[in-house]
Parts: sequence; structure tokens; C-alpha cells
Amino acid sequence: MNRHIAMMGAIARRPAGRIGGIIVCLVLLVAIAAPLLAPYDPLAVNLSAKLLPPNAAHWLGTDQDGRDMVSRLIWGARPSLAVGLLAVAIGMFGGVTLGLTAAVIRGVWEQLAMRTMDGLASIPLLIWAIAIVGIVGVGPVELGGWSLPNESKIVLLVGILYMPPLARVAYGAALLEARAEYVQARRLQGARLWPVMLGDVLPNCLSPVIVQATLLIAVGIVVEASLSFVGLGVEPPAPSWGNMLADARQFIYSGAWWTYVFPGLAISITVIGFNLLGDALRDTLDPRKSAGAGRLVI
Amino acid sequence: MLWAFLNRLLGSIGVLVMASIVLFALVHAIPVSPARVVLGMDASEDDIATFDHDNGLDRPVVAQYFSWAGNALRGQLGRSLVDDTSISRTLVQTLPVTVELVLWAFLLALVISVPLGIVSALYEDRWIDQLARGIATLGVSIPSFWLGLMLIAWGAVGLGWFPAGGDVPWRDGVGAHLRAMVLPAMALGLYYVAIISRMTRSSVGDVLLADHVRVSRAMGLPRGRLMVYVLRNALSPIVTVAAMSFGYMFGWALIVEHVFNIAGMSRALLNAILRRDYIVILDIVLVITALFLFANLVADLLYRLLDPRLAE
Repeated sequence: MNRHIAMMGAIARRPAGRIGGIIVCLVLLVAIAAPLLAPYDPLAVNLSAKLLPPNAAHWLGTDQDGRDMVSRLIWGARPSLAVGLLAVAIGMFGGVTLGLTAAVIRGVWEQLAMRTMDGLASIPLLIWAIAIVGIVGVGPVELGGWSLPNESKIVLLVGILYMPPLARVAYGAALLEARAEYVQARRLQGARLWPVMLGDVLPNCLSPVIVQATLLIAVGIVVEASLSFVGLGVEPPAPSWGNMLADARQFIYSGAWWTYVFPGLAISITVIGFNLLGDALRDTLDPRKSAGAGRLVI
Repeated sequence: MLWAFLNRLLGSIGVLVMASIVLFALVHAIPVSPARVVLGMDASEDDIATFDHDNGLDRPVVAQYFSWAGNALRGQLGRSLVDDTSISRTLVQTLPVTVELVLWAFLLALVISVPLGIVSALYEDRWIDQLARGIATLGVSIPSFWLGLMLIAWGAVGLGWFPAGGDVPWRDGVGAHLRAMVLPAMALGLYYVAIISRMTRSSVGDVLLADHVRVSRAMGLPRGRLMVYVLRNALSPIVTVAAMSFGYMFGWALIVEHVFNIAGMSRALLNAILRRDYIVILDIVLVITALFLFANLVADLLYRLLDPRLAE
């Protein structure tokens, strides 16, 4: 526990970590407390208040249907974060499981798992996200008695394509750990393989995985926004930062700048937050001079 | 060297085949038949059966896959089920547009990012490095489609220097054509300026700390000569990340084209999605996946060529 507190202290001492951490906490808080924070109903159409510039009643103005921009931006944080966080959760679970078991079991399983990851890594993420939603069709997913929103398709696909980088990091770290003296010692004392792997090796491999995961959350947010922008993500009228920008495209010529400036700022600031936090985490956990090298190209 | 390359080539082909199988299976797992889409919801069962028979959709999925794959290998991508246009022709019309946008954006990204990264590494932690790192953080965080919208608002609507979008063919004048490419190339390129400049900074920075550089410096090697050695040694990771970026750019190019209303592959793909024209979606995605795999293959090859240690 003390180790974690010390680590958080080390991250907070870096300006990037401090700013990134504050942004991420704020956005998370806004998303969770959206019903309490939003001053208006984000779906409430008010045609007498169309396209109002920022004013005392509507701090960031209103959109083409007279809906309050602040409320829509606050509610729009939810799908963005949900896609980013859930996709990374799927990727972490799958990737770490594969990477760890490949490093421990070795043999055929290692070959099979890691070659599959190599194959998945050579699939371009964005175009496949567009294709999958395009083929399956836009609309809610009925699963048992549940109706999942359209963006759950994006979550699943992005999550699967997130596995390779996380599996590789976990695999590399687990290979090193498995050879470490403390593991050998525990095994010689008669400890069984899996308790050692899960209790000792897994926690020690997690730092590089968490660094990658934080940076991947940022990517997931951009992917969700991009898909919503082309009409394949969050379905209107539900607000998301991407589909707000799709609506606002038409107002670039008419001067209603608040409709396209604020949603873009919301995406950018959130993504900057996760990127800064990820960079600070990497610099803290892996102080070698490798700034930028750990970043994924998307 | 050759063996490793052939191995990678075989792997890429394997990925492409797997990708085509997955997409094909997905298209056929969809409960809505293409016939329903084309003929409308009130078409009779007989009409649908005739349509399916005419288009070979009543054959087993595996047989359909093999005939599709066989034709694709011969360069025949088939015809759209919705409007019967040749998919190859659609690709011939739209692919060059997308490739041109990617090329300009790639060029722009290289011209800015490599010098920026080198200067950043040489003057580590000075103002120019802080600035470069700031640009890099912003670059990876601002989504290209929003950057595109802001560039239209600034450069086209505000200043009126550039067209807001659309296609300006070469025959309207080289200047006009290039001017229309400026904003889209900027929107697409900024992310990769960030990626490549960061890689350049870290790679050059690592080499600058190497013993041979310190010795050369201590022996009084001229600065210009020294930089040639440094860059030669720092080159391979930069080239790799640049080549990979080139492949990834095709995905984002579709979004940027949508923002700027450019009639490239994005329009073909989004139209196909809107009309549920499955075979067109499948073909376009596979073509882009193939381009992407090719870029990765080139990245791998260049890396091996530039770093003799790996050639062994």
C-alpha cells in the first residue's frame, strides 16, 4: 500500500502527471455525476431558443434544436469514457491473460497465442471499426433481455484489437519475472506454479501494462468520437462529443462557433489528460530515456 | 535476411486471407439478406429467391467465398448488388484521391517532424524542446476531424485563403489543386508530426549519449560530420515508425475526407454502408487492409536494410 502511495506521489510531482491526473479525475467526476451537474435535460428541444450564443442561462450556448450545450457536453462525457475504459478493460483482461499464460506455459500455446496477437496487431483499427459497424448495421444490440447501445460494437472490436500491445508488454515482463530469483526460490520452497504466477509475477508485470492501457484509453476516446462523427457511433439524439460535432458541421459558415468549438475542446482536453497521465506514469515506472518510444501509432 | 522477409510476407498474406474470411463470414451472418435491401421490404419470397439465385447467393457460403476470392485474385472485385456498378471501377476512381491525400499529409508530416525531433534532441529541455514536446502532446490529442473543422473555420471561412473542401482537379490549375490539399493534409498530418517527431527525438537523443559519439566529440570531429554519424545511427526506428504511420494514415484519411467532402474512398465506403452494399464494404476494407499490411512490410524491410545487425 505504501508503495502505491509513494508512486502516486512521484506521479503528482511531475507537472504532466499533476495536470493529467486532475483532468482525468474531473472528467470522470463529470461523467459519473452528469444527472446532478447538468443544468438542463440534454434532450429537451426548445425551438424558441435555437442557436443561442453563450449567455447567462446557457453558459456555452444552445444547438440547432435549442438544446443546452453545457448539459449535452456533460452527458456526452459518458459514452466517450465508457468506450475508452471498457475497451481497455477487455484488452487488458484478454491481453494480460494471453501474455502471462504464454510466458508461463510456453511451447505450442506460446506460439499460438503470440502469433495470433501478431496477426491481430496488423489489422488497422479505425477502418475495421467503421467496417464492422457498417456491416452489422447501426442500432442497439439485443442480448438476452438487455438492449446494449450501438457503441458496444465499437467497444468489443476496439477491445479485441487492444489485446496485442497489452499482451506483448505483459508477455515480455512475465518472461523476465518468471526467471527472477524470487520466483525460483518460491518454487524451490515447494510453492505451486499458478499461485506464484498470480500472486507474485502478475502484480510485478502490471506497471508497463498500465502505462500502455492509459495511453490506449485516449485512443479509444478518439475512435468513438470519430465514429460518432461519421454517424456510426452513438446514435442521436443521445449526446456524444462526436455526434455533436457532426451536427455542428453545418454551422461553420454561419458563425455559430460555440457549436463546433466546445465539443472538440472537450475531446481534446480529455485525451490530453489521459496522454499526460500515461506519459507521467511511464516516466515514473520506467525512467529509462525512452520518451515517445512506448507510444502506439494508430 | 531474405528468409525473414519471405516469412513476413507469408504472414501478411495469411492475415489478409483471415481478414477476408472474417469479413465474409460476418456479412453472411447478418440476418438481413442483401436481397431485402435491394428489393425493399415488401418484395415477395419468390422475388428474393430469384434475386439470390441470379447473384449466386443461394449457394453454400464456402462456395461463395471461393468464387469471390478467385475473382479477387484475378483483379475482379465483382459488382455492387445495389446499383450493379463495377467495384473495381469505383476503386480506380476513388483510391488515387485517397492515396494523393495520404502522400501530401505524409510529406508534410516528415518535413516538419524530423527536423523538429532533431532540434528537440540537440537542445534537450531548452525552450525549443519544450515547444516541440508541447506540439507533440497536442498533436496526439487533437482528433483529426475536429482539427479539420477548425482549419475550415480559420483558413477557408475566416481568411478565405483555401477552399473549404471538395475536389479541385489538376486541370483547374496546379496552384488551385495544391491549395485545396493544404487544409486536409494539415488535418491528417498533425498527429503523425507528433508521432514521428517524438520518435526522432528519442532516437537521436539515445545516439547522442552513445560512447562513440562522446569519443568523436572529444577528438574534435566537426559538428556537421558528427551529425551525419548520429543521424545514420538514429535512422532505423524513425524510418520504421514513419512507414507504419503511412499505413495508419489511410484509416484517418477516410474521416478527413468526410470532413472536407473529398470524393475519395471514404465517400465510396460510407455510401456503401448507408446502402448496406456489403460486397463493396468488404472489398474497400480489404483493399485498405492490404495497403496497411504492405506499409508494415516495407517498414520491416527498411528496418532490416538500415540496421545491419538485424540482417544476420
